[in-house]
Parts: sequence; C-alpha cells; structure tokens
Amino acid sequence: MSAAVTVEKKKAAARVAQNANGHKRYRGLHARLTGAVRKPASAVENTLKTGTAGEPVTPAPAVENPANAAEKRQVSFVQLLVFELRVRDAMTSPPITAAATDSLRSIQHLMKAHRISGVPILANDVLVGIVSIEDIINALDGGHINEPAEQWMCRKIVTLRDHFSLVRAVAEFDRHGYGRFPVLDANNRLVGVITRGDITVCLMHQLERRAEEAVAKEATLVATRAADEKAHRVVINTDVKSGDFESAGKLSQRIREVLRARGVAPEILRRAAIIAYEAETNIIIHSLGGRIHTSIDSIKVRIKATDRGPGIENVDLAMQEGWSTAGPLARELGFGAGMGLPNIKRCADEFVIQSELGGGTRLQAAVFLQKAGTTL
Amino acid sequence: MKLKTATKLPALLTCVEARPLTDLAEVELRGCYISDLLSDVLANAQPGVLWVTIHVHRNVVSVASMKDITAVLFTCGRKPEPDIIAEAAEKGIMLLSTTLTTYETAGKLWKAGLR
Repeated sequence: MSAAVTVEKKKAAARVAQNANGHKRYRGLHARLTGAVRKPASAVENTLKTGTAGEPVTPAPAVENPANAAEKRQVSFVQLLVFELRVRDAMTSPPITAAATDSLRSIQHLMKAHRISGVPILANDVLVGIVSIEDIINALDGGHINEPAEQWMCRKIVTLRDHFSLVRAVAEFDRHGYGRFPVLDANNRLVGVITRGDITVCLMHQLERRAEEAVAKEATLVATRAADEKAHRVVINTDVKSGDFESAGKLSQRIREVLRARGVAPEILRRAAIIAYEAETNIIIHSLGGRIHTSIDSIKVRIKATDRGPGIENVDLAMQEGWSTAGPLARELGFGAGMGLPNIKRCADEFVIQSELGGGTRLQAAVFLQKAGTTL
Repeated sequence: MKLKTATKLPALLTCVEARPLTDLAEVELRGCYISDLLSDVLANAQPGVLWVTIHVHRNVVSVASMKDITAVLFTCGRKPEPDIIAEAAEKGIMLLSTTLTTYETAGKLWKAGLR
C-alpha cells in the first residue's frame, strides 16, 4: 500500500469522527494500528466511504469550514509523528526471548507471565525463529507441548530494522498480517519486538508530550505578556522584506500611535519614528531581509534591527553623510541619500551598530521618553 | 496682513496654479522645504511646512506624516495613485499638484511671501 493511500484513509477516518473530542478523532487510525479492524485495506476504505455517505452529519463539504481545517491540521500532525518516530521509539526493549532448546511448555509460561503472544527464539544470540500463541495452541492440540521450540517454531521470520519509520512499520503490518515483528539493529542483533499496540501507545505518549509542551509554551507566553503589561511595555516584532518599498512606514506609524496615546512629546515621538523608518528602509534597500524588534516601556523606546546580510563593508564610511550604496530603483524613489544611518544616530539617545561583510548587520537604538534630546 | 493671507492654504497655491488632490483646509504654513531625498526631509524639514517634491510614491506620505508636514505639492504635473491620495487624506496630509517645475514653483512661492 502506498503512503498516499494510507494518508487518504486516515483523513477519511478522521472525517467520520468529526464531532468527537480530540483522541476520538484518531479512532480510525487507532483501530488500524491496533489491528482492531481486521479487514483488507480496500474493505476499510469502502466501509468508511459508505459511512460518510450515510451520515447526514458529515456531508462532503464543498466549502471548507474552520472546523474541518483544524481537523486536517490535527490529522497531519499525527502523520508528522508517524513519519518522524522510529521503530526503536515504539518497540518493547529488551525483548522477552527463549532459547531454541527451551520447551514449548516453558514458552507458554513465559507468554502467560509477560502477557505476550509471541516469543523470538535465539540460538547463540542469533535470531533463529519465533513461537506465536498459535504454535502453542497447535502444540497443545497435537500433544507436543513438551518438545523443544526449535522443532516447531516458525523459521521464516520477517524482521524490521530499528531505524525504520513507524509509517513503514504500519505498512509492514498491513502487508504481512503478523501481530508482531522482531526488531534488529544495524549489526543484526535482536533489540526488541514491536506490535501495533506498541505503535499506538507510542503515538499517544508523543501526542500527550507535545500537548504538554504546547501548554507550557503557552504559559510562558502568557507570563511574558503579563510582565510586559506590568512594565507598561509594548513589543512589536516586524519582519522586513528586501525591496518591499510599499510596506515602509507601517512600523513607524504604529510606534507613533503608541507614543501619541501615551502623551509623549511630539519631538521625542518623531525621533523614535524616524529611527524606525530609516532602519526599516535600510533593510528594504540594502539587505536580504531582516527583522525589527521594538519595545516601548515607560522609560524608553528600544529599536533593534537585524538583517541577514550581506553586511556593511565599511561602517565608518556608511556613517558618513552622503555616502550611499543604494541601487537605481531606491534612488528613483528618493532613497539612497546616504543620510539614513547619520539620521538614526542623530535621533537616538543610544546608538550601536555592528556589521560584518558576508554576515548581517545589527543596529540598536534607543530614545528616552522623559529627557529632551536633540531638536529636529 | 498681505503676508498672512499669502502664507495660508489654499490661497497661496493659486500663485502656482496648484490643483488640490485632497480636501484643503485653510491652514497657515510655517514655511517650505524642497527636497527629493526622503532622508533629507526626515533630517531637515520642520513640522507644519509645505513640502515640494517630484516624488509621488507612498513613502512621501509616510515621511510627511512622520514629520507632521502640513501639505505636499507635487511639481511637473505629477500625481500619486488614488490609493496613496486616500492614505494621505486619512492621515490628514493635504496633497496638491502643479504643472510648474520645482524651480518655478519655488520662485513663485518665495515671491508670494512664503518664507
């Protein structure tokens, strides 16, 4: 079965469980992984299709509603996990094994004690066969339960490698119909046993872990925001694209709005806005793109502009008024006067610039809101 | 008295045959600045002035707004796109356009008493 078909079916399964809560959404996938749906793949697909058509709750939506979109995202997240996780993440290790000379009776006890339904058989640390619960039942029927495993075990063994993705493991389960696979490492050493149940448990644990991580991240975010609010701080992060002259000025407009609402003097407000504007146009004209981090609290406005290069060859020259490397388009639009950096320096109460040719440029400027600075 | 009338919009702009692009209010201009370099305007223009330029790009509106420039006069018959005019109107910046060159415009404005 191709991966594409698997993905399609998972989507279909998720659609059936549309209104169920989070974990129930994966009912279809769960059933497939645990082997609860013992039907050929095509039959599963047909059942789901019939189910979809017969249920008025889940008509095939012509227009996507937000709920469906969210659902798709969640399903693709599980798919992501299935691709990301390896057999070694899900397998039971170390495996419960028996020796080739052990009697089937002792293996039966082993299965009972560990509640497993198959045991790999080793001879001199090499995997030579496997005894399943079916072999035990046959032995009880045939009266050879006390004979050694090597006489009755299955010798035709399909194994998985520990570095295989879980998606491959699921495909192998579908292809062979076995309940378990012994898992070998790169040195052909038996390192574990994997069942469909192991995969489900592993996925559920991962989902839980990711959910916990997301919750923790959210909590940090909320805490940061609360701290910002307490410090009367507004943080604006702006991505600036190279050559995007049309967007220039939006950041400084926002800064002006915030400062004006706080009753900051027009002269101070103007200086902060000019710094932001010049920093923004510098990134637009000269760099491959970058980012401006602006933080406004009750004491000062801090503007940090960083770009991804190509860097300034000679920072001292760049700081000289009239010196510019701007291209013809920028000059046509009235930029490239060679006054950007000197303007920023003049408007700022604090100013630092670091640049490296081949690297990026980092510019930090601050304007104090209380103290009157240079007049513009 | 004559000087005061002459430095008010829109009366002043009749001398350069400027056509308004936005609604004009009767405002006293504090002076005039002429430059086609945006950074130069950011560095040297005073708030409340008339800015004369040939640029009709969106950034002119951004710069004018940042410097609290009262009005922008485009020379050589240039006019910005309607969405840029709308943006200026929203930001309270008046826009005008004249077919005169920047040099002719400067001369006439100076003569009319805008200093």
